[in-house]
Amino acid sequence: MNLIKKISYLLAITIISSACSSDDDAGNVIDDTPQGDFDNGILVTNEGPFGTGTGTVSFITEDLSTVEEQIFQTVNGSDLGNIVQSLGFYEDQAYIVANNSSKITVVNRYTFEEIAVIENDLENPRYFLTVGDTGYVTNWGDPFDNSDDYVAVIDLETQTVSSTIPVSFGPERLVANGDKLYVAHSGGFDYNNVVSLIDTNSNTVDTTITVGDVPNSVVLDGVNLWVLCGGKPAFTGNESNGSMYQINTATDIVSQSFDFGATDHPSNLVFDASDLYYGLNGEVYQMKTIASGLPTSSVLSGSYYSLTANDGKLYATDAADFQSSGTLKVFDLLDFSEITSLEMGIIPGGVYFNN
Amino acid sequence: MRFLICTIFVVFYSTFALAQLDSIQRLETVYLTDPKLKKFSEGYQLQEISDSTLERTTYSLTNTLRNNSTIYFRENGYGMVSSASFRGTNAAQTAVIWNGIPINSSLTGQTDFNTIAPNAFDELTIKSGGGGAAFGSGAVGGSIHLNNSVEFVEQQTSEVRLGYGSFDTFFGNFKLRKSAENWYMDLAAQAISSENNYEYLEQDRLNENGAFKNANISFNSGWKWKQHTVSFHSNYFKADRNLSGTLTAPSEENYKDETTRNLITWNFRKGNWNHLTKVAHLYERYQYLPNKENELYFQGKARTTITNYQLDHHISEKIKLTGLLDYTHIEGEGSNIGRNSRNTMAAVLLGKHELSSKFTYGFHLRQEFLNDFQNPLLFGLDAKYRISSTYHLSVNASRNYRIPAFNDLFWNAGGNMSLQPENSYQADIGNDFHFGKFNATIRGFYIASTDLIKWQPNAQGIWSPVNIAETENYGWEFSGTFQHHIKEHRFTADLNYAYTKAIDKERDKQLIYVPFHKLTGILKYSYKNTALSFQTLTNGEVFTTTDNRGTLAGYTVANLGGEYTVYINKHPLLIGGAVNNLFNRYYENVAFRPMPNRNYTLFINFKF
Repeated sequence: MNLIKKISYLLAITIISSACSSDDDAGNVIDDTPQGDFDNGILVTNEGPFGTGTGTVSFITEDLSTVEEQIFQTVNGSDLGNIVQSLGFYEDQAYIVANNSSKITVVNRYTFEEIAVIENDLENPRYFLTVGDTGYVTNWGDPFDNSDDYVAVIDLETQTVSSTIPVSFGPERLVANGDKLYVAHSGGFDYNNVVSLIDTNSNTVDTTITVGDVPNSVVLDGVNLWVLCGGKPAFTGNESNGSMYQINTATDIVSQSFDFGATDHPSNLVFDASDLYYGLNGEVYQMKTIASGLPTSSVLSGSYYSLTANDGKLYATDAADFQSSGTLKVFDLLDFSEITSLEMGIIPGGVYFNN
Repeated sequence: MRFLICTIFVVFYSTFALAQLDSIQRLETVYLTDPKLKKFSEGYQLQEISDSTLERTTYSLTNTLRNNSTIYFRENGYGMVSSASFRGTNAAQTAVIWNGIPINSSLTGQTDFNTIAPNAFDELTIKSGGGGAAFGSGAVGGSIHLNNSVEFVEQQTSEVRLGYGSFDTFFGNFKLRKSAENWYMDLAAQAISSENNYEYLEQDRLNENGAFKNANISFNSGWKWKQHTVSFHSNYFKADRNLSGTLTAPSEENYKDETTRNLITWNFRKGNWNHLTKVAHLYERYQYLPNKENELYFQGKARTTITNYQLDHHISEKIKLTGLLDYTHIEGEGSNIGRNSRNTMAAVLLGKHELSSKFTYGFHLRQEFLNDFQNPLLFGLDAKYRISSTYHLSVNASRNYRIPAFNDLFWNAGGNMSLQPENSYQADIGNDFHFGKFNATIRGFYIASTDLIKWQPNAQGIWSPVNIAETENYGWEFSGTFQHHIKEHRFTADLNYAYTKAIDKERDKQLIYVPFHKLTGILKYSYKNTALSFQTLTNGEVFTTTDNRGTLAGYTVANLGGEYTVYINKHPLLIGGAVNNLFNRYYENVAFRPMPNRNYTLFINFKF
C-alpha cells in the first residue's frame, strides 16, 4: 500500500479520478500480486429491486472480459441489504452502504469476506468517504423530516459510529480536500441548494456554501470543486434550471457558475484528466475545466443511471426497467467508442476500482 | 415434475366436482340484487364459494379465494396489501362487484382483498373470463361478485362466532337475520385484531411491525309490496395496519383504510317487463404514514355516485333482453393527485336466446361516453351446448378494457393525463362433466392485451405510466369435486389447478409474480357431529425480475382443521380448531417477505 495508491482509492470513492491515476497504474507493476479473488478489477454496486430484496456487488476483471455476480452473497452466504447505495474503501476494507436497511457491511475488499456490520446510529445512509483514519457517512435520517439529517463519523478501528455531525437536509455525495470535507445537499426527498464544508479536525460544519437547486454531484479537479445542480423538476410546480458551480477550494467561495436552460436538469458530474462529463436529456456532455461556458454539443448519446470516469474510460450504467438486469457500458474517452457492454445486477448505480 | 405430481394427484384421487352453476332457478322468495350475473353467463364458468366455506373463513377474503380457486394472490406479508392475479392478468384487471356495483378503488384501480370482510355478504361468486360488457372496466381476467341475498321468508336467525389464534389474534362476528313474507333485514358486525408477530423460521426474528386490526358493519334490508321490491344495503369497513418490513429492511409504516358503501335498489315488475333502478354511493379513503411514530401522512379519497337503470324484457320464454344505462360520477382527492373528477355514461345491451333445450347463446354490448378516453365498443359472445346429461360445452369471447385509475392519471410526480384504457381480447372454452358424485370442469383460455399501463422512467428520469406493454396469456384450468358417503361417513374432495402462461411480448418472458402452476386441494370427512378437513395450497415458482433471471421458489402449505357440533336446546354450537401451515414450512409469497410459521386457530360458532 503506497501512498499514491491510497490517494487513488480516495479519489475513486468520490467518482473522481485524477491525472495521476495513470502513474498509479505504472506503480502497480511492483506489487501486482492479487490479494484475493477480487483484486485488480472493478466493483459495481447494484441497488437491487426497490421495496423488497437485496442489492448486490458485481466484479469485473480488469480486462473487462468476465463478470462475477453477487460476490458478497457467494462468499458469505448472506445479503447486503435493501438498496445498496454506494461503496467506499479504507486500506484493505470496503464499506458497502445499504440505504433502506440502514447498515454498512464492512468486507475485505479483495476477498469480500465480511468483517463487520455497522448498524447503530445509521438512518438512511447514502455515501461513505474516509479522511485520514476516519470514515464519514451522509445520512438522511427520516427522509420526511428535514431536521434530523447528519453525517455519521465512523471509527474505522472499532467499526462503530463515534459521533454525528448535524447538517442541512438531504446530504448526499461527499469529496475531501486535505482535512476539508465537502458535502453536497441534494435534499433527499425534498430539494436543497447548499454544500456543507466540514472541518475534519473538529468534526463541525465550518460553513455552508449556497449553490443552485439540487446539487446532485460534486468533483474536485485538484484546485476547484465543481458542483452540478439538477434544478427542481417540473412536477414540483416550481421548476428551476440546472446549473454548474465552480468553488475555489482555497477560499471556499463560488468563483463562477453557469446556468442550463430553464427546463434542463443535468446529473452525474464526473471528472477525468482535465475534463468534466455529465448527463443531460439523453446525452453525455464533455466540458473543459477551463471552459468559459457550457458545451453545446454532446459527445455521446444515451440516458444513463450513473457515470464514472477513470483513466481514459467512461463507465455508464443503464438500469433498464429497474426490475431486471442492468448493463454497464464502457466507452473510450478519446473517441467515445464503445469498448464493451456487460450485464450487471438490478439497478447498477456505482462503479469502483479495486486496485 | 410438479406438473407430474399434480397429474398423479388428479388421477389418484379422481375426485372432483363441479363448482359450476348453471342458470339458477329463480325463487320468487329470493330477491337478486344483480340478476344479470347468472342470467347472462351461460357460456362462462361461475364458481360459487359455499356458505359453509365462507362461515369458516376467519381473517380475510384473500384466504378464502386463495384456498378455493385458481386465482393467485400476491400478498406483501400476511394480512398486508393483497392483490389478485386472475389468469395471469394484473391486479387492476380483476373486477370486484358488490351487488352489481363495481367497487375496485378509483384511486388504484384494484381491490386489496385483505380489506374485504368475509361475513359482510352471503354469496361469493367467481366469474372466470372477460366480462367487460356486462360489468365494465377491469373485468378482464375475471370478476369476483359479492352479493347480499334478500329473502322474503319467515325466519329469525342469529349467529355468533368468537375465535382466538396464534400471534394474539382475536376475532369475532355477529349476524342477525330477520325476515317475513314482505320484509327482510340483516345486521352483521365483525372485528379482528392481530399482533401478527409470527416467527421467521430459521431466522431467529419475528415479523415486526405487522400488527393489524379491522372492523366491518353491514346492514341489508328489503321490502316487498305488490310488484315492487325495494332494498337497501350498507357496509362500513375500517382497517388499521402496520406494514411489515422485509428480510432486508425494517419498516415503521402504517396504512389505514376506510370504506363505506350504500346502495338502494327498486325493482318493479310488470308482465314481461322488469325495471330495476339503483343508486349507489361509495366512499374510500386511505392514509399512509411512512413512520407510524410521526404525524406526517399522505392520503387519498374518492367518492363515487352511481345511478343505474336496468330494463329486462322477456320477448318470449326463450329470448331475454336487458338494457342498462349507467351514470357514474367519481371525485378523487389526495396528497398526490390533487382534486379531480370523472363522469362516465354507459349503455349496455345483453341478450340471451335459448335456441333449444340443449343450446343457448348470448351477446353483450357496452358503449361508454362522456369520459375523456377513446371508448371502444365492448362486446361479448357466449354459448352453451348441453351435449348430454354428463357433458356440457361452453364458450365465450369478448373484448374488455381497463380504464386508467386516478393515480395513473394524476399522480404527482409522473401521472399521465393522456393515458388511454388498456385493451384486451379474450376467448375461453370449457368442458363440464357431471357424473353424479363426480363433477369436473376443464377450461382453456387465451387473452391478448395491448396498451397495458406500465410505470417507467421517462426522459427526465421521473416514473410515469404509459400505454406500452403487450401481453399474451393462455393456459388451462381444472376444477373438480367429488362427494361420497357410506352410511354416516361423508367424504368430499375439491381440487383446483391452473396452468398459466403470461408472456410479456416485448421480452418474450413470463410476467413477474405469475406462477405457471397453482394447485389447491381440500379433503373433508365428517361423521355425525365431527368433521375433519385437510387443505393444501401449492404455488409454483414465480419470477421476480422481468428478465426471468430472479426467481422465488414455489411452495406447498397445508392446513388441518377439525370441528365438533353440540346442540344446546337444538341450537348448534360448533367448536372448531385449525392448524395452519401444518408442516411448519418456511415460505415467501413475495420475495423477502416470509409468511407465517405453524400456527393455531380456535373458534366457536353458535347459531340460535
